[in-house]
Amino acid sequence: MIGPMEIMIGITALAALFSTAATYLAVTEKDLVKAVIYSAIQSTIYAFIYYMLMAPDIVLVYIPVAVGLYPAVILVLIRKTERWEKD
Amino acid sequence: MKRLVGLVVIILFILAFSLLLVVAGGSIVPGREVRGLARVYLNTSYNPWSPYFTVNSPESVTSVVWDYRGLDTVFETMVFYLAIIGSIALARGYRKYIPAKLDYSKLGLSVIVKTVTRITAPLIIIVAASIALHGHLTPGGGFQGGATGAVAPLLILIIFSQYYLIRRGVRKESMLIVRSLGLTGIGITAIAVFLAGLVAGVHAYVLQNQAKATAPVSAPAYIDNQLISGTLWFFNIFEFFAVLAGFTIVLLLLTIPERAYQGGGGE
Repeated sequence: MIGPMEIMIGITALAALFSTAATYLAVTEKDLVKAVIYSAIQSTIYAFIYYMLMAPDIVLVYIPVAVGLYPAVILVLIRKTERWEKD
Repeated sequence: MKRLVGLVVIILFILAFSLLLVVAGGSIVPGREVRGLARVYLNTSYNPWSPYFTVNSPESVTSVVWDYRGLDTVFETMVFYLAIIGSIALARGYRKYIPAKLDYSKLGLSVIVKTVTRITAPLIIIVAASIALHGHLTPGGGFQGGATGAVAPLLILIIFSQYYLIRRGVRKESMLIVRSLGLTGIGITAIAVFLAGLVAGVHAYVLQNQAKATAPVSAPAYIDNQLISGTLWFFNIFEFFAVLAGFTIVLLLLTIPERAYQGGGGE
């Protein structure tokens, strides 16, 4: 029997799987701008997971910090240093 | 190709491990019933019938953050303040750099982006203020509101260039004053009930909010029949300004052009 609770937890688990993929891509990416975008995707999914786990306080602080401020700060840093990671 | 293989391996590992967990223990999914400690918090955070234990706030998380464990949050705020101090120390030694001839309409991104930002930036500030001011009623609070509000100066910095903000008085020095005022407000709110107890000659604690059995003074839970939950509302407002100004300082320092630093690159 699949109730709404199971569907909710299933969607959350699927989102967690996607976030793992985004994290792996962010770590292995050599183009740092793309890596920041992957990291922001992972943060967006994490915000969704927090919402599904009924933690709206964390969502409210996670969206501006992890999706807005943190990628912007890293992008400014990349702009001031260099874009490509060397081997 | 190598990355794709790695990705597939990791996903398969996670799926296999999840399957193993599900098969190995059927009791891993947490139960739906509320645990004892949580029940205490949920019962007392808004409960007019037990006046010596309640916080008078329907938001349990804010009650825990600013009342039950208020001292921890004061120290958290201090850690954030020290981080801002560190970033200001890192950016020392830059001189004011404003080019002689500045055409403000030529700076920044295109007119479309600027128009959209003119509409959205005030909305972001309004939402942030609402999150902070309703922090004792709905999910949110001072830090959440401040972090949300800091997105507006970030957008303006990148889309209009930092000279636009500096010309309007949003400078490092003025933001430092706002931040210090917020922190002073947090400190005063923390000892306000204690001082009231001293004046009234009764026992009272630092960071006390509502009256306790041994300390009968309390911050006002209602102003004009509006629930403000004693000190929580003041804490949220002051934290909002402190966090907003702190993030704005860091963003301003990050976007200083390199040639503003003495001996740096550029000219």
